[in-house]
Amino acid sequence: MTAFLQPGFWVFVVLMAGVYCIFALGLQVQYGLGGILNFGHVAMMALSSYTMAILVITYNWNLYLACFAGVVMAGLGGAFLGLTTLRLRGDYFSIVSIAFSEIVRYIIHNSDHLTGGSQGSLNIPSSKGYASYTDSFNKVLANIQDKIKPIFGSFASRDMALLLIVWLTAIILLVIMSYIQRTSWARVLRATREDDDVPASLGKNVFLFRLSSVIVGSVIGGIAGIYWALEFSILDPADFQTIVTFFAWMVIILGGATKVKGVPLGALFFGFLYAGTRFFQFPPFTWFDSVQRAYLRVMIIGFVLIFLMLKRPQGIFGKREEMVLE
Amino acid sequence: MAEFVQLLFNGLVTGSILAMAAVGVSLVYGVLRLVNFAAGDFMTLGAFIAVFLSVSEGWPLVAAVVVAIVGIAALGLGLDWLLWRRLRDSKAGTLALFLVATGVALILRQSILMIFSSGSRKFSINETATFSFLGANIATSQLIVLLLSSSAIVTLGLFMAKSTIGKDMRAFSDNASLAAVSGINVNKVVRYVWIINGILSALAGIFQGMVQGRFDSTMGWTLLLPIFAAVVLGTIGDAYGALLGGMTLGLVMELSTWHVLFGGIPSSYKPVVAFATLGIVLLVKPEGLLGVKARSI
Repeated sequence: MTAFLQPGFWVFVVLMAGVYCIFALGLQVQYGLGGILNFGHVAMMALSSYTMAILVITYNWNLYLACFAGVVMAGLGGAFLGLTTLRLRGDYFSIVSIAFSEIVRYIIHNSDHLTGGSQGSLNIPSSKGYASYTDSFNKVLANIQDKIKPIFGSFASRDMALLLIVWLTAIILLVIMSYIQRTSWARVLRATREDDDVPASLGKNVFLFRLSSVIVGSVIGGIAGIYWALEFSILDPADFQTIVTFFAWMVIILGGATKVKGVPLGALFFGFLYAGTRFFQFPPFTWFDSVQRAYLRVMIIGFVLIFLMLKRPQGIFGKREEMVLE
Repeated sequence: MAEFVQLLFNGLVTGSILAMAAVGVSLVYGVLRLVNFAAGDFMTLGAFIAVFLSVSEGWPLVAAVVVAIVGIAALGLGLDWLLWRRLRDSKAGTLALFLVATGVALILRQSILMIFSSGSRKFSINETATFSFLGANIATSQLIVLLLSSSAIVTLGLFMAKSTIGKDMRAFSDNASLAAVSGINVNKVVRYVWIINGILSALAGIFQGMVQGRFDSTMGWTLLLPIFAAVVLGTIGDAYGALLGGMTLGLVMELSTWHVLFGGIPSSYKPVVAFATLGIVLLVKPEGLLGVKARSI
């Protein structure tokens, strides 16, 4: 119960909700506009964060350049995924995209000399003798901490500084996204979601529109991966399991599937739901021991997914008509 | 040569297990348009039920296997009554089906962990007993699994080809509305699909557990990707295609570790090999091995 009363824990929850918000925005570009069901989105986080960590630790790159390279790598990952599989039928694409993310994880897990393998980023070969990629960024965060101390007082933690950066990024991305919604690019994408033939008959290259939305979404997913890496300071291939993609899907569904503005609300809702399950310390949950309760937490995610899809497939803030058109 | 025979044999065993699981997934997709993400966990649960009854409770193995099969078939029917029936009625889209299936998979996997705890299990069979064949050492348990799974596959193939319900199922996968118009009982077909899926998943899970030796709650999930690859390879929804896809991938995955081929691919990359194979086939033939190109109108 102690963590429940600690503000630091809730700062962490809101910070992670911000990371999930950015991550889910990437999926939103693909699904909300193009109707593309990508279930391998977590691969983009893995690609960007690991690229960044390897460039900083092994090759002594500047952190910001490395972050940029990481995001570019995520975009390339999206391009590879799209080029090889987007011509397939919708359900084929979904299956192959899961496989893509699992294969990325397999390769990271098994390439000890490049990625540190199963021991994670601490094992990445380094010339300095220790494998850390957050040294220079921690100084930036410490600076911000000093600046926000007058406003936030004792709440001005490292997490709080990062929280501000993450949510600022999320808001910027949201503004860009709602602007993009009104462009002709988004209109054509929405048309391809309903039907291939109509936009094609108007001379639009449906494949290129879909590919570009997968790449844009992957780049946004890559940004989320960078923040993930900066928050935890170490990476582990087990962080990037398929279930993380489904967390993002839940954020989107909670926020109302095709609504960009719903994504941050969905992310906060999901963040508090997932964190809140830690505090189920009353019957019937007290019948189980702490290990079993950890299993129960993931199970609750499953129940919520099923319940939402059965009872309110349009999410909390969505319109039902847009879900039926698939 | 001995290495080749060994790998060929391993490939046949893996292939037959993959093929059984893939036919289950393919039938469910063909008739219900549902990509069953819980298929791997159905397998794991089948193996856990059988190992619990036979090892912990001391039941005869055959009885334990029968109960596992009945349990998984009942699970499929129960979930259909509880979830899939409702989603079919409300004409739910692909995304809703995908996400509900994932939810089911999560709940099943966590339930297995809660009920049976996280440790690994093992059937009480002697997997070290081997015999020599063309210079290769082949485990007797593997041979038994291969014989049993291939007879299950042949039985299934005959059932699909000859029985009325098998023909109904194939008609339904080909064209659901045409099948319904011609008087096929939809609910009966759906029930049979879940029963057959239960038999196949439980057996595939138990066989995989036996061949693997020790297994834990992630066994089915690890196999799910090669199973999906097999289903897509053999054209999604086509039961015979899934058989062919499963056997092909089993052989390719095992033979890829053969040292004559570029020194052999490390065995931890087997799932990657499965999907690389799928990728190459789909680039050449996007409709899968047995698929027919859709006529453009």
